[in-house]
Order: sequence, then C-alpha cells, then structure tokens
Amino acid sequence: MDMEFPDAAELEWLEANASYPDEEEDDLEFDDDFLQQPPSPPGSEQITSQPDPKPTLSLPPKPSLPKPQLPINSRKRFLPDDPESLSDDRNAVVITEEKRSRVEDNDEDWLRYSPPKQPEEEEPMVVEQELEEEPEEKILAKYALEIDGDCTPVTGLDELLSDEQTNRQVLMWLKQWDSCVFGVEIKSTTDDVLSSLKQHSLAVQHPRRSSKSSFGNSREPRIDNEKAHNDLHPENSDSDRIKDLWDKKHRKGGPPEQKILLLCGPPGLGKTTLAHVAARHCGYRVVEINASDDRSSASIEAKIHDVVQMNSVNADSKPKCLVIDEIDGALNDGKGAVEVILKLVSAERKLRAGKENEPEGGNAGQKSSKKRHHKTSLLRPVICICNDLYAPALRPLRQVARVHIFVQPTVSRVVNRLKYICNRERVKTSSIALTALAEYTDCDIRSCLNTLQFLNKKKETLNVLELSSQVVGRKDATRSAFDIWKEILQKRKVKQTKKSFNCFSSVSNDFETLHSLISHRGDYDLIFDGIHENILQLHYTDPVMQKTVQCSDILGCSDIFHQYTMHTQHLSLQVYQSPLAMSIHGLVAQIGKPNIEWPKSFQRYRTMSIEKKEILHSWKNKIPPSISRHLSTKSFVEDLISPFLHILSPSTLKPVALHLLSDKEKAGLAQLVNTMVSYATTYKNIKSDPSLVMHHGASDVSMLALDPPIGEFINFKGYDSCHIVLASAVKVFLVHEAEKQKILQGSSNLHSPPTGAERQDVLRCENSSTMSKASALSDKTIHFRDPSRQKHYDLPSASSQNKRSAGGTTASGKVWLPERKNKPFVDSRSFFDRFRKPSDKTPQDNDHAKLKQKLEERDSRPLLFKFNEGYTNAVKRPVRIREFLK
Amino acid sequence: MLWVDKYRPKTLDKVIVHQDVAQNLRKLVSEGDCPHLLFYGPSGSGKKTLIMALLRQIFGPSADKVKVENKIWKVDAGTRTIDVELTTLSSTHHVELNPSDAGFQDRYVVQEIIKEMAKNRPIDTKGKKGFKVLVLNEVDKLSREAQHSLRRTMEKYSASCRLILCSNSSSKVTEAVRSRCLNVRINAPMEEEIVSVLEFIAKKEGLQFPQGFAARIVEKSNRNLRRAVLTFESCRVQQYPFTNNQTIPPMDWEQYVSEIASDIMKEQSPKRLFEVRGKLYELLTNCIPPEIILKRLLFELLKKLDSELKHEVSNWAAHYEHRMRLGQKAIFHLEAFVAKFMSIYKSFLISTFG
Repeated sequence: MDMEFPDAAELEWLEANASYPDEEEDDLEFDDDFLQQPPSPPGSEQITSQPDPKPTLSLPPKPSLPKPQLPINSRKRFLPDDPESLSDDRNAVVITEEKRSRVEDNDEDWLRYSPPKQPEEEEPMVVEQELEEEPEEKILAKYALEIDGDCTPVTGLDELLSDEQTNRQVLMWLKQWDSCVFGVEIKSTTDDVLSSLKQHSLAVQHPRRSSKSSFGNSREPRIDNEKAHNDLHPENSDSDRIKDLWDKKHRKGGPPEQKILLLCGPPGLGKTTLAHVAARHCGYRVVEINASDDRSSASIEAKIHDVVQMNSVNADSKPKCLVIDEIDGALNDGKGAVEVILKLVSAERKLRAGKENEPEGGNAGQKSSKKRHHKTSLLRPVICICNDLYAPALRPLRQVARVHIFVQPTVSRVVNRLKYICNRERVKTSSIALTALAEYTDCDIRSCLNTLQFLNKKKETLNVLELSSQVVGRKDATRSAFDIWKEILQKRKVKQTKKSFNCFSSVSNDFETLHSLISHRGDYDLIFDGIHENILQLHYTDPVMQKTVQCSDILGCSDIFHQYTMHTQHLSLQVYQSPLAMSIHGLVAQIGKPNIEWPKSFQRYRTMSIEKKEILHSWKNKIPPSISRHLSTKSFVEDLISPFLHILSPSTLKPVALHLLSDKEKAGLAQLVNTMVSYATTYKNIKSDPSLVMHHGASDVSMLALDPPIGEFINFKGYDSCHIVLASAVKVFLVHEAEKQKILQGSSNLHSPPTGAERQDVLRCENSSTMSKASALSDKTIHFRDPSRQKHYDLPSASSQNKRSAGGTTASGKVWLPERKNKPFVDSRSFFDRFRKPSDKTPQDNDHAKLKQKLEERDSRPLLFKFNEGYTNAVKRPVRIREFLK
Repeated sequence: MLWVDKYRPKTLDKVIVHQDVAQNLRKLVSEGDCPHLLFYGPSGSGKKTLIMALLRQIFGPSADKVKVENKIWKVDAGTRTIDVELTTLSSTHHVELNPSDAGFQDRYVVQEIIKEMAKNRPIDTKGKKGFKVLVLNEVDKLSREAQHSLRRTMEKYSASCRLILCSNSSSKVTEAVRSRCLNVRINAPMEEEIVSVLEFIAKKEGLQFPQGFAARIVEKSNRNLRRAVLTFESCRVQQYPFTNNQTIPPMDWEQYVSEIASDIMKEQSPKRLFEVRGKLYELLTNCIPPEIILKRLLFELLKKLDSELKHEVSNWAAHYEHRMRLGQKAIFHLEAFVAKFMSIYKSFLISTFG
C-alpha cells in the first residue's frame, strides 16, 4: 500500500496547493508551469529550461535579485536534471515512503552540518516561498464573498514579516524532528548540501525575493535543492568525515531537546502563518487546535494523542504537526492543553531515562498504543502559539519549551509590504496614510490588511485623519501587566504625528486607549496591586498630600468594589474598575519613566501570614485542650505572646546545677518548666541564623530556639524587643527538665486517667463537699495539682511536704532520700499507682493508709541513686541497685 | 502552667469578676433547663471562662473531659459534596467549635453539626439533661448566610440542642439570632475588679504586692483581664520583690505601633508613607488583625495630637475602618488612613506655623 499512497497523496496535495494560485492569482503562466510540474514524472528539462521566469514578475518592492541565486532557487523548486537525482526522484514517486524520508533526511543533513550561518541564510529562502500564501489566504477566506480574486497572495520572502532569525530557528527546530518522524537513512549527499549552502551564502547577502514559483509541494524544494547542488558541485570532497560525524549524531538522534516550540508575540505578526508554513515545508500535515475548538482537558488530550502518536491513516500519509494556536487564551487559560503536553513531555523524559537508545523502534511500538497513556511520548512536533508569554498558565510550559519571541517589525517594513499589496490589488494609497495605519495598529499586518480590504470594497480611500474610525477588525490586544502599569503611571509623550490632531481629541484619545488597554487586560486585582506597589515611588508635586490621599482612597474604593463584585458575583460591574485606574493616571502620572516593580510585597505578606497562622494553629493543637480552648488566634498574638516570652525567660534563672539553687529558685524553675510543658514549648536546635533575634546571645554553631517559633511573632523589622535571652546552658537545662516533665506526665497517664480527668476527679470530690470545704480544699488541690507533676505526686498532707523539703535540702550529693520525689518518681510509677487507684475515689479517707503503705514501700528500698552528670536526651531507664548486685 | 490558667475559676461559685452574671446563670441552670445563650463582650473579659463554668454547672465535672477532634464533614451542597475540615472540642455533653474556620462554608458546618447532634440525642434519664450544648465561638465572624441558616435550625432542634454563642460584638450577630437567644453581656471588668483579681493571685502565690503597682498594671492592661494577669506574671518573673516604679513590659506590637505613630508625626510625605507601609506589613504579617492595628494607631496618634484635630482624626479613622471591613485588602485602607492623617496634620501645621 505504501507503493500507492505517497503518490496519490502527493498529487492530491499538490493539487490543493496549486489551487491557491488559481484563485488568487492572475499570473496564469505561473500556474501553468507549476501545475504541469508535479503530476508529470519529474521533468527536468522543463525546469532547467526556465531558470526563472517568476522572479521577474511584477513585484514592485522587489529588489534586484542576484542572478546566481535564481537558478538555484528554481532548481530547488523543480526537479533537477542530473541523472542521479532524476532517478532518485522517480524513485521517490514510485517507491516507498522510506525513500522519501531518506530524502528528507538529506534535508536535515543539510541543515545540521552546514556551517551555522549558512542555514540561516538558506532557510528563509525556502520557507518564505510558502509563508506568504497564508495570511492572504486567511483574509481572502474571510472576505471570500466580497472579493473575487482581486487580492494578491503574498509571495515574497521578506513579506513574511516575522524576523528572519526566528523563521530560521523555527525551521531548524522542525528539521530536528526529521530523524524521529520520518526515520532516516544516512546519505552521502551531505557534502553536496554543504556546498550548496555555501553557494547560497554568497547569494543571500542581498535582500531576497522568492519567485512565485516557490510554492508547491513543500517537500520538493528540498529535494531539488539537494539535487541542484549535486550537479553544481559534483565532487565529494570530505564527505566521509561528515558522514562519520552524522553517523555519530544520528545514532543519538531523535527529536530535539525541547520538544515543544512556543511562539509568542503580539497579534498580527504572523506567528500562526509561520508555524503553518514551516510545518508544511518540512513535510508535515498541520493540525491546528485553536481557541475556537473544544478545549476541555479531556477532548484536547484525545486530540493531542491522536496527532502526536498515531500514524495518519489518511490518504496523504504525511505525519502530522500539531499547532496549538492561542494557547494562552480561551477556556481554562489553556491549562488543559498545557497539562496534556506537559504530561507527554514528562512521560518522554522518563522513557528516555529508562532506555537510552531507542529512538525509532520504541516509537513505532508506541504509536499505536493509545491506551497506554502514561507511557506515551511525544513523537510529533508541537508548536504552541501564544500572545502573552508570561500568562500564568504557561509557566510550566515555558520551562520545557523552546521559546521564540516575535518582535514587532519596523513600521517601514510593514509599510513597504502594504504598499506592495496595495499595488498588487490596485488600491490607491499614500505611504503617509499607510504609515499612519501601521502605527495605529501597532504594526499588526492583519489588521492593516483587513482595513485596506474593507475600505477598498467600500470604494473609500484610507484617510489619515479618520484612521481610528476606519480601522476595523482589531484583535483584542492584551498587554502584559507591566505595560499597563507603565501606561497608568507614566504620561504619554505627545508624539510629533499626534500633534496634528487638535489637543482635545488627543486627550480623549489617550482616555480611549487607556480605557481599552485596562479593560482588555481585565485582571483588575493585579493591576491595582501594581499601582499600589509603585505609586509611592512616583515623583509628583503634592504639598499637603492631597493627591496621595485621593489615590489611596481610589485604591481603597477599588478594593471594596472588587470585594463586592466577587461576593455578589456581579462580574459585569468590573467594567467600572478601569475608570478608577484612569483617575489615578490623571492624578499622578509623571513624565519620566517610572521604575515599576512587580507587586511582590502584598503576595509576600499573604504567604507569610498564612505561614504564621499555620504555626499558631499547630501550636494551639499541641497545647492541651483545657488550656487552648480559652485562646483564640487573635488573643494569642494580641495578648499572650509578649508576656509569655517574658515569662519563659526569667532574669533570675542562673545556669547552675539544680542542687545549688535555693528553694525559691527551685519553685520558680518548677513553675517555668510546668508552663513550658503545658504550653507545649521547648527549645530546639536550629542552624545558626544571624537574622533571627531569638538567639544572638549564643555563639554556638547550633543554637537553641523556641520550638514553636513564637519569638518570630514579635520580631518586627526595625524593632528591638526588650526580651531577655537566656543563656544557652539554661536553655539546655530547661529542655532537659521539660522532657523529663513530659515523661513524667506520660507515665502517669499510662496507669491513670489523663491528667485533665484526674484533676476533675479531685474537683468532683470537692464539688460534692460543702462550699466551705470546697474552697478550703481548692487551695490544696491547686497546690497539689500543680507541683504534682514536678515533685510529690501523692502526698497532699502538709507533713509530707515538710519532709520532702527537708529531704531536698539534705540531699546535697547525688544521693537522694526517697522522699525526694522529684527524681524517684520515674521509677515509682508502679508502686504509686498501686495505691493511687483507690485513693482517687476517696483521697481523704485513705490518706493515712496510703502513707503507711508508702513508707513501707520506701523502707524496703532505703537508698536511691540518681546519676545526674550532664544532660542528655537519651532514653533513661531507672535501674535498681539490687539488679546490679545480682 | 500560667497563672491565667491556674487561677481561672472553674465553677460559677468562684468567679471574682462577674459575680452578678454568674449568680444569674446559676439560677438559670437550677431551673433545670436553659435557653440559647449569646455571650458578648470584649476579649479578655471572661466570656469563655463563664461558659466553661456554666457547662460545668449544668453537666458536672464530666464536661471538662474534652477531647480534640479533627473531623471532616461531608456536606451535601446542592450539586456537589464539599469536604470541610474542622477541629472540634467535645465532651460527652457538648461540642465546641469555631465555625468561622471553615470560611465561607460555615453555613453547612453549622447545619450539619446541629443535625448530627439532634440525631444522637442523649437519653433523658434522671439526673441527666436531655440536651447537648453546642458552643460556637467567634460568631461575629460567621457569615450572614450561616447566621440565617442558624436561626431556623435553632428553633427546629431546640429540643435536643442548646446553643451557646460567643462573640466580641453583638452588632455582628443578626437581629434574628439575637432575639432567639438570651443575651448575656460580659463587659470588660472594672479596674477595681482587676485589682482584686491580681491581689487574689498574689495572696495565693504568697507575693508581696504593693497597691500602687497593681493599679499601674491594670492601667496598662486596657481592662483586659487576661492581659493584666499575664503582665502581672511576667513582672513577677522579671523582678521580685515588686517595687512601685518597676517597669511593666509592654506588648511588643503595641510598642511597634507607637513607633509607627511617632514616625508619622515626624514627617509627612509619600516617602514616609512608603516606610510606614513596610511597617504595617510587618504587623499584618504577624497575624495582628488590621482593625486592632488601626485602633491602636489612632490611640497612639491621639496621644500626640492637638485637641483641635482629635475629633476629625477619629472621624476619619472610623471612616477607614468601615471601608476596611467592606474591602479585603486591609493594607490599602490602613495606608489610606495614614495618608489622610498626614494630609490633615500637615495642613494643620502649615496653617498654624505658616
């Protein structure tokens, strides 16, 4: 089947192409030779015999073409005459697809291995031959009913208004796909191509116009190109070397690094045209998805997969090239498409990482595997077109795609082009009017042409003075936010040309443009953020700050406005936002160029405050509910934090060993540790960071900071808080104590109801008793509850307290008497609990029995060692001496 | 444990500040039933404490056995189901939550929870109450829709569920909800009351407490009891025994605001305004609510201002606070106030001093 298809397809295609000239051109002779050519088996004589009838065609702005270039050009286009190529070409027609791909490969060689500047020179020649058909075609399609073939197709090279550099690069990029898409064989003709390019490089110093005959089968020119050079430079000088090189490169081969091409630029510069022409030129069938198509994620995914992975079963078995137009616009901000593409690209990456060297074999397998979406990869070039490169939806795409930015062509270039078209169309214009038109439309060629055509139809002439009313069909021009801020904050310089209008109209003109500019952009939130960010940096005379007040009032207004429209969903009210921005323009716009910054500070504030709220939230969750329930986030920051930090860092705390502290100090310490534990704070090692206020007292490499970083909340820029910073030794000590306290609590919780509940039990008893008794008890319970974690757990009686304190003072060494419940508690969990449970029920009654029991327990183990040298966070386990003695 | 928590009265009998309110609440409970309640008053006046004590009074000590629950509510909102995650504090008798955390979905949360509570209504055995209590905090932040949806559910499920609402200002609670509740106004405690609380704590802690010193703390505390106790404790930690002229540590953010105020007084220009903006951002970043910043800033400015201007400036502050609440970006309005003040002050200076 392959035998048949290419041929038929080719013919079909050629016919399709040939029909352009039919409809659009008056040059019948040209059509003739074009039409004759493809169906016939490459008739070389014909081509050689007419070196260039076309170039001399009446293209008014066409500069003189150097003669040597023309034969090449024409040969490129038509079939070559030397025997080798002839046979080759016949093969191409008759034989297989494979053959064709080989040819294309050559083409690629020719691009790759030529010295860098050469392809640059060469490309436009080829590309633009076709490029020019497109815009005209579109316009014609639009106005097909009105205009009967009296529009000129654009034919010249230079008439592709996009910058040549870009054109070349786009083509280069497409070429890199060849090996992957068509499957390549190495041909020895590379050197020929090289030399041909050399030849070209001589020729292309001059401005070029391609001949009309240039359009046609996109593949042919390249084929011919090669052949042409074959006969120009028959000697194969250093082909071997090049071949080697090629071999190497090709083995690695496959598609280019960046698999997506992203063309961006303002409308009407020919991005779509370029994409179409370049793709067609390289032998692809263009599949376009544009804003008018269904762009939901699912449908677009199916579509892209179809294009990118399937072989076309169509008559023309040409591979497809996907062009996604206006990817930044329309539904979902183009997110659907972007996501799909990114998925493909990342899948490809993984695949490549997996198996390194499998360019075509793997591909072939996957082409049909539509179901395996996750494994699928990008096998066809994808060209994305957008207006705003910095649209948020495109952010991920920007990173993986190769980006080309279209710049505005110069006015003179556009005007030249317009003039040329006008001449062709026999429209009378003046270059002044055309210049004005081009300026008015920002060099948007499409808009210019539409206007001209429209006027022509109405039998009117372009009038410089009424330009604004005459221009029709302007595309929505969305500008970047920066442009808008600049427009708002900067007074426009009155241009020379505009002085011709009277003053009043220029004011209203400014008004108009600004209004349309802002409302086209639409993102009012961002616009006002930007104004807010930059407005105070402007220089305007304002003795009593009246203007500033007005501006900030307007900003406030816009905020209220925004909030209201969003809240009520009356989005149509957004229209009135742009006058607000314009009134700011009226107030403060300056003549000098403002130094505009992106509104970062508001965003930063937003993210930071969310972060901090998160910290507070998680902190609050850590604090036991009985405490945290009384605090709202607001009261945390408002009332709690400052005094809390003071309380956490008492000035009286000395970094000395525990046993050297006085009783009072110990009580203070206990209180502090208790607070730390109940508020779930601790100190944590962090990397030293000089910017943090909390700990510039310590000079250690790693310093201790409060764990929920509460200190941050009072750490205002340019503000010195008078909080005392504890010495790091003290902090270490506190951490240790807090840890211990936590373990104590945890262990007591293991055997008894949770601390809160246990307290409640006590309180319940108190409740049941009489009022007076309750109040009397309450002191005790509070007293008992609080230090219970710290010191004695179960000795509510005053006598035991005395004993304990006595024990504390006498215990000077590392030997404690067991009454000193501070430490022994760790290991006493079991025996305490044994009598704790009944005691919970009836604490008062059991007091004595409990004490007795306890004393007995104690006496059985008279001594207790506590090794307390230094502190560590390691898990400690109390061990009995008798276990050592065993 | 901080003194604020340590000496927080656990029962209605032991409250020091709002004894009259406590008395009434106790009477209410002794009747065996209670209506829906709305507690409102400034922060630090003891709303929460009273509510907890009230719960205790109703249900006994088991009301204090609370557990934190992070629950995801599946809410059926017309066409789709929304997942709302919310932290609740609950005991066997009551549920406590902060519906404004759920953002604009608060409406569903309120309805859903009340319905759920109504479903598993406790059995009315003797000695037990046949209803559960739902405590809603920060009702003033509840959206209008949520409040509207609340009023019907309040009536419908009143058999099984009592609501205790807690808010800072009753004006933010819709009329309809207010009329369904018994409104309990908890005003900020009088200075003498705060002094007596501090003295009580001092006695319990066994501290020598000079009379004049207490008055100074109270003066600084803005009649906020929580703040007074916290300040008291931090003073204790910083220096003891107390002296009458001991420095009382200020709130850091207030200190910062007063720095901003003096910045504003020193120079009035767009450039200075820009610096002020940076500082305001600092405050906002640290989660300090913009209304409070504005209020404090006005307070600081008024201290330094000529009496002629005080009225006008206060007027404008109110104006901008109103706008701030209407809008979303507080910084715009804060800044607008500062700009307005600068303008007023500057023209005042020019007219007086030429």
